[in-house]
Amino acid sequence: MTSDILSAIIVSGIVLGSGYALMASGLSLVWSTLGIFNFAHGVLMTLGAYLAWTVSDAAGLDFGLATGIAVSIAAMVGVGILIERVVVRPFYDHRDILLITVMTTLAAMIVIQKGIQLIWGARLKQLAPIMPGNVRLLQTTISAQEALIIVLAPLVLCALWLFLGRSRIGRAIRAVGQNPSAARLIGIDVSLIFIIAFAVSAVLAGLTGVLLGSVRLLTPEFGAEPLVKALIIVIFGGLGSLSGTILAAYIIGLLEATLVFLVGIYWAPSLIFVLLIFVLILRPQGLLGKVVR
Amino acid sequence: MSNNTNALEIVDLRAGYDASDVLLGISLHVGLRERVGLFGPNGHGKTTLLNTISHVIGPRAGSIRFMGEAIDALASQKIVARGLIHVPQANRLFPDMEIMETLELAAFTPRAQKELKTNLECVLSLFPRLAERRRQQCKTLSGGERQMLSIGVGLMCAPRMLMLDEPTLGLSPKLKDELAEAIAEISSRGIPLLLVEQDIAFVLSLVDRMYLVDHGEISREINRGAEVDHQDIMDMYFGSERA
Repeated sequence: MTSDILSAIIVSGIVLGSGYALMASGLSLVWSTLGIFNFAHGVLMTLGAYLAWTVSDAAGLDFGLATGIAVSIAAMVGVGILIERVVVRPFYDHRDILLITVMTTLAAMIVIQKGIQLIWGARLKQLAPIMPGNVRLLQTTISAQEALIIVLAPLVLCALWLFLGRSRIGRAIRAVGQNPSAARLIGIDVSLIFIIAFAVSAVLAGLTGVLLGSVRLLTPEFGAEPLVKALIIVIFGGLGSLSGTILAAYIIGLLEATLVFLVGIYWAPSLIFVLLIFVLILRPQGLLGKVVR
Repeated sequence: MSNNTNALEIVDLRAGYDASDVLLGISLHVGLRERVGLFGPNGHGKTTLLNTISHVIGPRAGSIRFMGEAIDALASQKIVARGLIHVPQANRLFPDMEIMETLELAAFTPRAQKELKTNLECVLSLFPRLAERRRQQCKTLSGGERQMLSIGVGLMCAPRMLMLDEPTLGLSPKLKDELAEAIAEISSRGIPLLLVEQDIAFVLSLVDRMYLVDHGEISREINRGAEVDHQDIMDMYFGSERA
């Protein structure tokens, strides 16, 4: 393997990993706060990208990319709150909330995905890149947008880390995830925290969509594959551990890039699943996971 | 202004879980500087009573007034904001959080945030062991340390009244004494106290007055200084066999 190929694999792995990390951290946040998986997380990424496209593109409202992204991110706050209200909140006191919300969030995913298809049609779309042109990195050429993703993802994740670790609301989110009844007894409004966790998670999904929407083509199924990857990553990284999720995102990104090179794009995704199964046999709690509650 | 003289006033409170009623009409009161004990066997409603007061579960009937105002329809966080603080039994707190982080977070309501600094100093001087272990995660604490942190968390909430549910559960006699001292110190600052305990000597050493809870009702009220009839207590636990 020449150094060219190696660096190409590493760079494309990091690009993949950055997108996965942004995507999976939102899924992980909702899991560790509410103990549910939001299967609509992928379609939120799609919706975020389409909203940004409509506001920014010349074929849409033509307000420019900055406005498009801002509107999209703001709208994701509302969408996140709406999802929580409509398909999660009615089941908080239910014993089988985990199973019920698998169904309700899957239902939300399908409804939103079909809605996107109705509104925007099946024709492929693409967002304009935030940064046009190409960049050379480690003897490999990537688009400037991909370079931006490499830089932006760690910054966003650091901000999320600081928010959860240092801010009053962030700490309250963690407290609710670890012990909701004790959190209630120190005056935390648990249902407000659930809403905030969903909103932050939806913003992360929308941001991922906006960033990847100029690297890939937009279809109503745009977020489906990233959702599956994000699920794998959250489990592989260890349920309830944000640092595990982020570590796993970059590992899976690099692994995928390597496998694409070795066995081609056709078999790479299946092989990742096979490897994951072996890892989970050896380490059922995932990379940095704790015992599942 | 009402000429109310009680911190807490409960009239004919009923509550329970699902189909079963646990509290069958409880009435009691705690004065503004009073320390009151709740004593009785397990499963007779003491913890349910505290849970109902702090609105972890909703009351089915009856009224709860705190500092003269009805609180039975308020959500838990609003009750905490008013300063009625419930320190629950065997609270495992937030396993992955450090001691200092937990204490700072506990000053969550605006009123508690204003008092954060003074309350933190007070907690750390009351429980120096917490100060020594400030960076340690809650899940690594011993039972005694966790109990101290639980009470510390309650104090960080800026209490105008404290309800403690079995603070010495499972602790050694030496630790019990330490906690008793700390609790006495807290109530000596004029914070009214409602204390649930199984250890009769422990309750009596700390309270002015005590209620016996029996099958979801108050069966007796005992004033401090009054002779405790041990036969009564034995009867409560084992059933009366006297005709």
